[in-house]
This record gives sequence, structure tokens and C-alpha cells, in this order.
Amino acid sequence: MELIDISAQPSLASKQANQAEPDISQLSGSMAEYYRLKQGLVMSSLVIAGLLFGPLWWSYSLKVALSYLLGALSGIVYLRLLAKNVEQLGTENPQVGKNQLGVFIGLIIVATQWHQLSVLPIFLGFLTYKVGIIVYVVWTTILPPSTPQG
Amino acid sequence: MDPLVAAASVLAAALGIGISTIGPALAQGNAAGKAVEGIARQPEAEGKIRGTLLLCLAFMESLTIYGLVIALVLLFANPFA
Repeated sequence: MELIDISAQPSLASKQANQAEPDISQLSGSMAEYYRLKQGLVMSSLVIAGLLFGPLWWSYSLKVALSYLLGALSGIVYLRLLAKNVEQLGTENPQVGKNQLGVFIGLIIVATQWHQLSVLPIFLGFLTYKVGIIVYVVWTTILPPSTPQG
Repeated sequence: MDPLVAAASVLAAALGIGISTIGPALAQGNAAGKAVEGIARQPEAEGKIRGTLLLCLAFMESLTIYGLVIALVLLFANPFA
């Protein structure tokens, strides 16, 4: 069995881990697929949160709708932090932690202490990212994204 | 708040968060280890493996979040107070 010295060839992810936000259009190879997935998940979560904000305002109140929106935005921040952790996993600069849970803990503490906010809409809003994941995965299963040529 | 209810709530929060993190922690460690192993075997599939890992971790970590919600509600918005 032939052993390959992979330390001499740092992966694309380790090169890009130091960059804040890589441009997907300029990337090629397998990591472009990962960044596309990450961007797609964030976008689908944002769209779902935006679509649900209006009906919630109309059905309940502006307070409930704003609480939901706050939870949804926190969920998206959580998802981005989780994606960043996954991106740095196994690279030369591993900073894998549970920082993303701090977002949720802070959110729930603020929601319970500040009486202008409701806990349940915030929690359900936070879970919007899961709906976004399901919608994105079903969408890409039905309509696979076209790979850029060249 | 009744001291007995307060003590029981703190104990329930501690047990809730402690027990609810055991399963996801084991699963996340296992998944991350296997993913890194897979990337080492097939570096050309790195993006696909990391994408699948991201989706798996997002769903696994929500189990921890459920326990965390119960614990935080018991501590900061106790319905039995």
C-alpha cells in the first residue's frame, strides 16, 4: 500500500480557512460544492424566515413576528458558525468548538429576561434553519444544481 | 419561589442538559472522526464529505438544543415558580 505525504500538499480547505468569505464563482473542485451548499442553506433559511414573517404579523402580532425573526436570524448565525467549524475540521488551523451554542444560550436568556420578547416564537424561529436544510435538500434532489463549466 | 421547587428545578436542569448531551456528543465525535478519515482517504471528495457532515451535525446538535431549552426554561422562566 502506497503512502502519500498529504502534509506536503495542504488541502484547499486549509488554504481557504484563513480567508473570511471565499468567492464561490472563483473556486473550483470539491470545496466549491461545500461553499455552494453553505450559501444555499443560509439563503433558503433567510427566504423561509422572510416568507413566514408576514403571515405571523397578520395572524398574531408584530411582537410575535419580530420575536420569530430574531430567532430565525440567530439560527442563521448559528448555522454559519457550525459551517465554519466543519470547514476548519481536520485542517492545520483547527479551532473547532461549541461557540455556536453560545448564540442560542444568549438568545434564550435574553428572551426569558426581556419581557418584550416571547420564548416560543424565538425558539421556533431558531429552528427555521432546519426547515431551510430540508427545503434545500429536497430542492436540490428534485432539481440538481448545474455545475459551472470551464 | 418555593426553595424545594427551586432546588428541584436546578437539579432537573443539570440532569436534563447532562443526559441530553451524551448521545449527540458521541454521535458527533463519531461522525466527525469518520468524515476526517474519509477526507484523508479521498481528498477529491472533500467538499461532498464536509457538506454531508454539516447537514448531519446540524440535525444532531438540535438534540442538544432541545435539552438546553428545557434546562434554560427551568432556570430562567420556570413555569412552576
